[in-house]
Amino acid sequence: MNTTTINIIIQIIHYLFFTYAFLAIFSYIFLSLISASETIDYFKKNSFVNYKKILSSNIAPSISIIAPAYNENLNIVDNVRSLLSNHYANYDVIIVNDGSKDNSLELLIKAYDLVKTNYLINPQLKTQPLRKGVFKSTNPAFEKLIVVDKENGGKADALNMGLNISNSKYVACIDVDCLLLEDALQKMVKPFLEATKKKVVATGGVIRIANNSIIKDGKLMKINLPKKLIERAQILEYLRSFLLGRMAWSRLNGLLVISGAFGMFDKKIAIDIGGYDTSTVGEDMEIIVRMRRQLEEQNVNYKVAYIPDPLCWTEAPDNYKIFISQRNRWTRGTIEVLRKHRKIAFNYKYRNLGLLSYPYWLIFERFAPVIEVIGIIYFGILIALREVKWDYALAFFILAYLFTFLLSLGAIYSEELTYHQYKKKKTGFKLILISLLEPFILHPFILYAAVRGNLDYFFNKKKKWGKMTRKGMGNINK
Amino acid sequence: METFKILQNYFQQLPIELKLVWVLSAVLTVLAIIFTVYLKFLRNTLREKDVLSVKYQHKYESELLSYLFEESDEGELSNSQNEFIKTIQSKCDNKFKRKIIVETLLKLKNEVSGEIEIAIQNLYLKSNLKEHAYQQLKSKNWCIVANGIKELAQFKVKEAYPEVKKLIKYPKKEVRKEVELYLVSLFHFEGLDFLNNLKINLSEWDQIELLEELKNFDNQEIPDITLWLNSKNDSVVSFSLKLAKIYNKYETVETLLELLNHKNQKIRIQVIDVLTHLQVLDAKEILKNNFKKSSEEEQIAIFKMLENIYEPNDEAFIVENSTHKNFEIQYLALKILKSINEKTFNKLASESNYYNNNVVLKFVQNN
Repeated sequence: MNTTTINIIIQIIHYLFFTYAFLAIFSYIFLSLISASETIDYFKKNSFVNYKKILSSNIAPSISIIAPAYNENLNIVDNVRSLLSNHYANYDVIIVNDGSKDNSLELLIKAYDLVKTNYLINPQLKTQPLRKGVFKSTNPAFEKLIVVDKENGGKADALNMGLNISNSKYVACIDVDCLLLEDALQKMVKPFLEATKKKVVATGGVIRIANNSIIKDGKLMKINLPKKLIERAQILEYLRSFLLGRMAWSRLNGLLVISGAFGMFDKKIAIDIGGYDTSTVGEDMEIIVRMRRQLEEQNVNYKVAYIPDPLCWTEAPDNYKIFISQRNRWTRGTIEVLRKHRKIAFNYKYRNLGLLSYPYWLIFERFAPVIEVIGIIYFGILIALREVKWDYALAFFILAYLFTFLLSLGAIYSEELTYHQYKKKKTGFKLILISLLEPFILHPFILYAAVRGNLDYFFNKKKKWGKMTRKGMGNINK
Repeated sequence: METFKILQNYFQQLPIELKLVWVLSAVLTVLAIIFTVYLKFLRNTLREKDVLSVKYQHKYESELLSYLFEESDEGELSNSQNEFIKTIQSKCDNKFKRKIIVETLLKLKNEVSGEIEIAIQNLYLKSNLKEHAYQQLKSKNWCIVANGIKELAQFKVKEAYPEVKKLIKYPKKEVRKEVELYLVSLFHFEGLDFLNNLKINLSEWDQIELLEELKNFDNQEIPDITLWLNSKNDSVVSFSLKLAKIYNKYETVETLLELLNHKNQKIRIQVIDVLTHLQVLDAKEILKNNFKKSSEEEQIAIFKMLENIYEPNDEAFIVENSTHKNFEIQYLALKILKSINEKTFNKLASESNYYNNNVVLKFVQNN
């Protein structure tokens, strides 16, 4: 190859990188604008909603909260109390103790006066068998509570057991360590009930980070900004993702994922499609993609809805080791789901799903870290070959950095103008500061975790969930 | 100055694409600075607004309480009461203060009853608040229109009926819903006459809201709902079926039985549920005869009906379906069979190979 050919190849590579970056930026701007419009619309409409009526209505549809638990003895009693205090007339709480090796079950039995009961389970979905059985409370105050003790089968398996147990029309699947606000069910069920043209099959909610916030008796008393930079950076990341990203996908009816931490489903549809897939670590995304895929194939006019209210609060990793493990799992989950449903990709038969949502996830979520790493390696080679045009490199770096900062600012503005949760003085300054730092203190670790996730997916198939050590939300700051 | 010139010269000799990147970066930098500074202002404003809102709420609340509990001559307002009305009138043009005044009035109105409630309502009518709500109905912004209707409903302004009723076909769903709630909350069951010609679907959410509103009245005498049960709008049929169930409309049984042949499966299932609630035995035979032609969801509904109103002569039908492939139907069939005739149940359980290791059978046997 002569020098001219090499130069042409280099030029082509440059243009490919440029096009990718341009499309990514364009998509972020596009999604942010749609999000803004959708959020304004949501707020206007919501100002006329009287949730008190559904709260007291005995014809409101039944909902089961399904919360799988594995070795959650640190928090489980308080968290169940929080789940039981939801303001909704017609619901129950199903805790699935998924073969915990700790004393979670004993704690629950003691705290809620549980006794073993005969319970007929409709085995619509295959799961691991029961271990000690099904428990209900002898105390009428906890009549809504059902505790199922089963052999360990993983989160998806536990959720499937919950689906088998539930007698309700809708199921809210949540992580047991999450804290639900009291009006969470009223708000989550609304999209199902107000739809007249499209059938709403699932609703997703915003997940907020509760680290350093004050929680008492399973209730969120005061919202604080965490102290550690890694936690603050995740707050910003969640704001961007939920307020700017998913809100827009909801408008486009292209949501591919509802967070496993809190989502609501039409139970019949969830069971008809076979429940959660136990073979993937991305079961929350997989069930939505499979649901959508099947409904598209059946030509059903459906919608996956999303609401921006901060209804579910969770504990985010407060150290890089756990953070990397979590993001590694998310990466593997995304790869597994996209590979499993690759038939959808660029397939016009799946309409928005095949031509918009799936390609976006494939190109800007699945391949983004891969392309970034290739870019970094390529940049390293150029440095070694002394081929870097530093004026170009510097200019583009600054531009990318400024854009990232402005996008984060957009998310902060969205939060301030809507829910304004971080009311304390100087919090605004701290959020701005973290927006400036985040590309250096969080993004490199996300990239590293994504690379590890890719490597584990292809070369370490045995790796499953990884360890997520929790401090317990009441203890996060101790 | 020297540095600026060096930068200027550097910039001028750059290729166009790099110039563009730097110009864009400069624009983004300016935006970033503006937004950063404005964020502080915005947060301060939001905080101040919160503080101000609480302050005014307290102020108006105490003034309103003085107004309400001031001794005055029979039917006459005192000078200070008239002063207070004038104060409210003067604040009406300020959107922020007006909103707080209305909220304060509503808050107190919801906490009291009787004469005090009427006094609050009169205060609303005497001040310019009502006129403002009327003005809102003429707005081109749907949000303001809906807000006006909501306010008129909350303060029970019946005279606004002609203006509000005109908006029943408003393009925006939220406005239509407020109109419906206005009609029902002020005119009770008579307000439901908008259902007669309703072409647009009533969502489940709307139906729940209307039904909850209807529960608030002392007079629970519901008019004839046959027209709505026969409506071409399935959501109206569904709503009237809920009315039939809640208000035990036995006189609609004939129409309900006809609705068992409705084209919409959801309606048919709902009809079975209402007939179950009303314990209409005649429906049972019809449904048993049509059982095989019915969908699985309907079959489940039929068995739920039988669970509530079974009779000994249902035994043959129950036995026939006790091996149904549907889990729920099989369970209900065995449960009913055990209640109707335990001997037959035991005999069937011991004879039939089908039931070997069957969880449903074991569960029914043990419970």
